[in-house]
Amino acid sequence: MNPVTIKAIARKEFYHLVRDFRSMYLAFVIPLLMILMFGYALSLDVDSVKVVIVDHDKTKESRELAQKLNASAYFQIVRQLNDSLVAVRYLDQGLTTMAIVIPPGWTEDLKADREASLQVLLDGSDPNFAGISRGYITAFVEAYNRDQLLSFLNRKGMDEIKAPVDGRIRVWFNEDLESQNFIVPGIIAIIIMIVGAMLTSLVIAREYENGTMETIRSLPVGGGELLLGKAIPYFLIALTDVLVAVFMGQVLFGVVMKSSFCLLVLASTIYISVALSLGFLISIATKSQLVANQMAILITFLPSLLLSNFVFPIGNMPKIFQMLTYIIPATYFIDILNGLYLRGLGLSHLGQSYLILVGMLIVLSYAGFALLRKEGM
Amino acid sequence: MSNSGSDAVYVEKLEKRFGRFAAVDKISFSVDRGEVFGLLGPNGAGKSTTIRMLCGIISPTSGYGRVAGYDIFSEAEAIKRSIGYMSQRFSLYEDMTPLENIRFYLGVYEVPQEVWRERIEWVLDMARLQDVRHRITRELPPGWRQRLALGCALLHRPEILFLDEPTSGVDPITRRSFWEFIDKLAQEGVTVFVTTHYMDEARNCQRLVMLNEGKIAAMGSPSEIISEVFPGRPGADLGDVFIRLMARRQE
Repeated sequence: MNPVTIKAIARKEFYHLVRDFRSMYLAFVIPLLMILMFGYALSLDVDSVKVVIVDHDKTKESRELAQKLNASAYFQIVRQLNDSLVAVRYLDQGLTTMAIVIPPGWTEDLKADREASLQVLLDGSDPNFAGISRGYITAFVEAYNRDQLLSFLNRKGMDEIKAPVDGRIRVWFNEDLESQNFIVPGIIAIIIMIVGAMLTSLVIAREYENGTMETIRSLPVGGGELLLGKAIPYFLIALTDVLVAVFMGQVLFGVVMKSSFCLLVLASTIYISVALSLGFLISIATKSQLVANQMAILITFLPSLLLSNFVFPIGNMPKIFQMLTYIIPATYFIDILNGLYLRGLGLSHLGQSYLILVGMLIVLSYAGFALLRKEGM
Repeated sequence: MSNSGSDAVYVEKLEKRFGRFAAVDKISFSVDRGEVFGLLGPNGAGKSTTIRMLCGIISPTSGYGRVAGYDIFSEAEAIKRSIGYMSQRFSLYEDMTPLENIRFYLGVYEVPQEVWRERIEWVLDMARLQDVRHRITRELPPGWRQRLALGCALLHRPEILFLDEPTSGVDPITRRSFWEFIDKLAQEGVTVFVTTHYMDEARNCQRLVMLNEGKIAAMGSPSEIISEVFPGRPGADLGDVFIRLMARRQE
């Protein structure tokens, strides 16, 4: 391991990188786009539910109900309709996600202490959205009932009664339930996989394709020196991307990290190294940039996105996929980042995930090194 | 294993098999220090396989060999430090400038920093690339790239220079000046080991090994080989020998 040799290789690799349009695009443009796209577009929060309302009753009370609904931050009435069938068409065409039908005689029933039913139609094609919408409307109806009850008691001159159970819910981590707060850590994990593994998967395959692997073999360069030298520029770029993502997360989305910055850098350093080793391993095994790139998408990018607890909760997956998530490095990195970002945890709680990543790093880098040696380096 | 220590290259029963196919079939020869030595043969004769074994790029299946005094099985690293190697693909990074390529070679050969400047100027002068030192190598004509590749292989002042079909794809005039330069190197004491399938290049070698289907078909100086294959036919040249020997083998 000679530092002069490693430096010469790192410098050469840096030239390749800055002169290759595709690599520069992957290294800098894609990460920026991902932060913006995921941060703004992939918001899992439901701000306001679009509602059409069909008021068959047409009384003061029914109009008040509609007004109350519209005044709430969670609902937005897009149209008042007269025909339930038209409301269904609105749902079919996706112009609204919820239709509320107030039947004729509703106010009468209400005043006569009979059950006054309200029909709510909900578009369930996006289950996440529908679930949240159902929660909103249920809460709204409960609040309405409560108001009715109170005004009834007032009219009868009775005291307020208290509900037997008063559930006081306080959200512990991520108090505002902002999904951006967990999207930012997820994006960092994905970006590292793109920059780390997808870029480096091309690196050794390129030497094979250009015939320069032959040159390197004729030079007094060891396999370890080659891998280390090639890793340096990509490592620095990935780390820069992480810092940019952290910065943008804070400035654009107000996602502030609670725990130590050093722990974040430490975790990123280990995880970047894991990604680089994985990329090198793919590159050495495939010897073709095209195949390597496909492989990298399949075994690094997609699992990091889908099986890492980022977009889809691991707890909801079938058992076999849950097992699979244990071998995905991103699972542990996102666990660490969530711990650092949302829970403000330290090394005592996250140490295990750090250690698992270090273990993966040792196994993967050794595998790459051994494979390179087998190829005669 | 007579006097193997003083030869630049010495091999005995050197063999390389790929599965059942013997690419190089137990060949033995030696190369003196300061000699221009040629390995001649048609495509697929085993020239490249031989030179790659000697340079420590691939390891032989069996046999014995020393290059620059080092064992080709156990001391490949030491061999790589004492030789220069240039392959038919010119061994350059084409997205880098000549200067960047030179610096890369200086770095991996661990040439001391204090002589970098002097070596860089020497190579750029020798290869006549002073004016294009900051151009991207891909944009240079093949002949210029070839001179650069040769210069890079000489940056660390190797004792032995291995050239694998160094002039393929280069025009005759460039080839001539290339060989003039090789002769100059040899006069300075550098051993030059070259593979080729061009007869006019083979004539420039002091000694030749003719290789066909992994075996040695003839060995000696060009004139020795001609008179051995065509005794009593003074008009014959190396081309006739080549065709005769290669035809005989293929029967």
